Amino acid sequence: MTSTLPAATGVKVPAQRTAAPKTGSIPRTTPPRRLRGSRSDLVLCVVLLAVILVVQGWNIADYPTLSDDEGTYLAQAWAVQEGRGLAHYTYWYDHPPLGWIQLAALTWIPAQLAPESMTVGSMRAAMLVISAISAVLVYVLARRLSLPRWAAGLGMLLFGLSPLSVVLQREIFLDNLAVMWTLLAFCLAASPSRHLWHHFGAGVAAAMAVLTKETMLIVLPAVLVTMWRHSHRDTRKFAVTGAVTACVLIGISYPLLALLKGELFPGAGHVSLWDGIEYQMTRPGSGFILEAGTGSYGVLQSWLYYDRVLPIGGLAGALLLLVTWRWSVTARALAGPALAVAILAAMALRPGYLPAMYVIQALPFLALVLAGGTASVAHAVLRRWRRTDEKRALTWTRYAVAVALVGASAAYVVPRWYDGNRTAVTADANAPYRAAADWLGTEVENPGKTRVLVDDALWLDLVHEGYRPGLGVIWFYKADLDPAVTKTMPRGWRDLDYVVASPTVRRDAVDLPNVRAAMENSTPVATFGTGEDRIEIRRIQAAGGDR
Amino acid sequence: MLTSVFIAVVSLALFWMAAFTLWWQMHAWRTPEVLASTRFSRPDGDEHVSFSLLLPARHEQAVLDHTIQRLLESTHTDFEIIVIVGHDDPETTEVARKAADRDPRVRVVVDTHEKKNKPKAMNTALPHCRGDVVGVFDAEDQVHPELLAHVDHAFRATGADVVQGGVQLINYHSSWYSLRNCLEYFFWFRSRLHLHAQKGFIPLGGNTVFVRTKVLREADGWDPNCLAEDCDLGVRLSSVGKKVVVAYDSDMVTREETPGSLMSLLKQRTRWNQGFLQVYRKRDWKQLPTFGQRLLARYTLMTPYLQAVSGVIIPLNVAIALFLDVPVGVAFITFLPAVTALVTFVFEVVGLHDFGRQYGLRVRFVHYLKLIVGGPFYQVLLAGAAVRAVWREQRGRNDWELTSHVGAHLAHVNREDVPA
Repeated sequence: MTSTLPAATGVKVPAQRTAAPKTGSIPRTTPPRRLRGSRSDLVLCVVLLAVILVVQGWNIADYPTLSDDEGTYLAQAWAVQEGRGLAHYTYWYDHPPLGWIQLAALTWIPAQLAPESMTVGSMRAAMLVISAISAVLVYVLARRLSLPRWAAGLGMLLFGLSPLSVVLQREIFLDNLAVMWTLLAFCLAASPSRHLWHHFGAGVAAAMAVLTKETMLIVLPAVLVTMWRHSHRDTRKFAVTGAVTACVLIGISYPLLALLKGELFPGAGHVSLWDGIEYQMTRPGSGFILEAGTGSYGVLQSWLYYDRVLPIGGLAGALLLLVTWRWSVTARALAGPALAVAILAAMALRPGYLPAMYVIQALPFLALVLAGGTASVAHAVLRRWRRTDEKRALTWTRYAVAVALVGASAAYVVPRWYDGNRTAVTADANAPYRAAADWLGTEVENPGKTRVLVDDALWLDLVHEGYRPGLGVIWFYKADLDPAVTKTMPRGWRDLDYVVASPTVRRDAVDLPNVRAAMENSTPVATFGTGEDRIEIRRIQAAGGDR
Repeated sequence: MLTSVFIAVVSLALFWMAAFTLWWQMHAWRTPEVLASTRFSRPDGDEHVSFSLLLPARHEQAVLDHTIQRLLESTHTDFEIIVIVGHDDPETTEVARKAADRDPRVRVVVDTHEKKNKPKAMNTALPHCRGDVVGVFDAEDQVHPELLAHVDHAFRATGADVVQGGVQLINYHSSWYSLRNCLEYFFWFRSRLHLHAQKGFIPLGGNTVFVRTKVLREADGWDPNCLAEDCDLGVRLSSVGKKVVVAYDSDMVTREETPGSLMSLLKQRTRWNQGFLQVYRKRDWKQLPTFGQRLLARYTLMTPYLQAVSGVIIPLNVAIALFLDVPVGVAFITFLPAVTALVTFVFEVVGLHDFGRQYGLRVRFVHYLKLIVGGPFYQVLLAGAAVRAVWREQRGRNDWELTSHVGAHLAHVNREDVPA
């Protein structure tokens, strides 16, 4: 091997940049260089980021409707901040706790400054930080995967401005945090310097992603593929083993936590990691996604309601890249994201349980492959089979076709996205929640001694109103499912004062005897909103007199 | 509470130590470009540097002739071999004289010191050197015929004062400890030493090291009282800003074998450790210009002791985390050093694979197994050597004649002159 010798003692020069042997490295369309040093990349990225942040941030607290899960995670983050352990009820290994530990860190300063701001609506602002980082990482990743600047910008826009993204990324979901870590893992795996410790870092980031939301596990093969393609043959075995080791060792910390707490395996009188995994693995399936009438079909329709361009266009883009694998440099460069889309699509087709936020983890990859597919098409239209002596007319035809394609796509996408995002920045979906919280804060005489069942989204509001966290203001399903709560209710629903019947509570009460009884033995004293989405505050009849 | 704080502090200190060591150990594989830069560049066919190759030999009549023959096969056109023999060692002298009679490039220098050691022998030969560059080899080394041409080119291309070539133990299959010993050399010469060259602080190896004769004479040669005269020379030269270049090519390394028994390995290691300690106390490294360099020097020279301590504390730490009632957070921290140790383990396994590839050796599953299982025991050996070295240094037993009372081991004296 020919090369020069390393730098030497005495002289303060950094290690000489010796060209690595060419063999085994992937062909590049652009030479690796630092994005930070490129003014045009920086300007484009900052401008797009500003647009995304305005659209995502405007009206973030009022739209979409507060979700039960957001309340769960934020309340647990609150419990971490307050030093109450990993959750204010018994932590039962439903998810690894790293997600809300990060949330706790992220919201720590505002929570210190204004404790009452620790509610779902106001803390959604924290998700803007995550969205911003993720959007920038999408751009960086696109550039590292050799997409041209405009295509990277397109990917960032698709990721940040699709109405589906706007709705889902506003919400306090663990998936959004996990997506950020996954994107970081991809970016490090595709590091242009091919540095051993960057790849090691990719393993760490991948583990962080999985510990934030365990479903990210299935995307890891795509990270590995990206790393494999971007590492050099001479150092690959160290890089890849290092990354895998880092990922595994950090991942092991979760079972280790359970082991240290004596909760690894099931046993009488305590929760266990084993039980938690068993619960998640045996959740009842929600049917085949393409069969009308199943739960999964409903979830799919709810995604497509917000946006069709990104999910369907992304899948088409992935398909295009897979088909043109042989001929297209772009297709090979985007192997990682395309594989991620393929894996996630395959998993969605499995007739298992399909949560509504499932699509979040696919969003960046859908955006990247759609942008990549667009770049491929653009190249095919403008450059392929083009000779230097090409006829003028033909060249003009190429441009005409390109302009027509751009015009047609814009005509389809812009009005739909405009409508979707206008709703997002103007609609107020959470007035009933706010009103219900107000009512319970002002109309109830002695909050400290009142016991009320609420869904998770309202829980923190009531804590700030002076209700006792945990046993005073109660996550409604804990009244049936948590022995530590039920034992404080020896007379069942008679030991409660109010139940706040939100859509979630009404839906789940069917399977929860105590909650159902509380609903049946109560009458509404205040109702906010109308129809399916209304929130009723119901006073339980037996309460008061004989307590 | 106090226990928790104490455990956390110790664990974090160990973690950083292990992490830095790992970071440096993996230096050569950081990027493909760094890896490429650790190799010799191809000679341009031009030759301007003349060599004086020192070959100290003591009771090594069995291997000496073969080594001389192999050196004479070198493709370089301008070199002399100076065999240094003791006045009390007629057998080796005989072999050396015969070789000198056969080829005018071979000369013999007789060392008449009462108490003999390698630095004294080489200092004896230094005034006789005619070449521009002095090179050092051991009597049982297998030297590649093209090495000198590459070193010549390296001197000219980089303007270096010192060129250190690679040394590699090869007999990984001999025993469990030789496997680990080989791998230590692999990581040291393949990777870590390049980092030292780059940072400007380098403990040189005992052979396949080339120094400009003028520089060596200015530095008064080797320190006859130091047990690690090779390390000492490197530290002294780099401390005054001499340019050191390291190059490693798997087909250009000097091949050696591990010590023949566990006991001689322990003795060898004891001597190096004691030597490192002596170099540390000589304080030449204090002249290094930057704080970072001095820190690296301090750390490197003290490594054997840190190694000994961490070898004992890491398992203890894990046991504490598992069996004592400490908070979960603290328990997590106690696992950090173990995690780094595990990462190091994994990289060693990959390193063994790479070693096999580089040298065209068939590394089997059982070798990987030996590597892993042998790890803790090797750690015990290293810790033992470190403790022994401190003990000897404290008792003032800093004589070179570590093995002088065991006549049968004299043949190993030279063999041990390589760094770790």
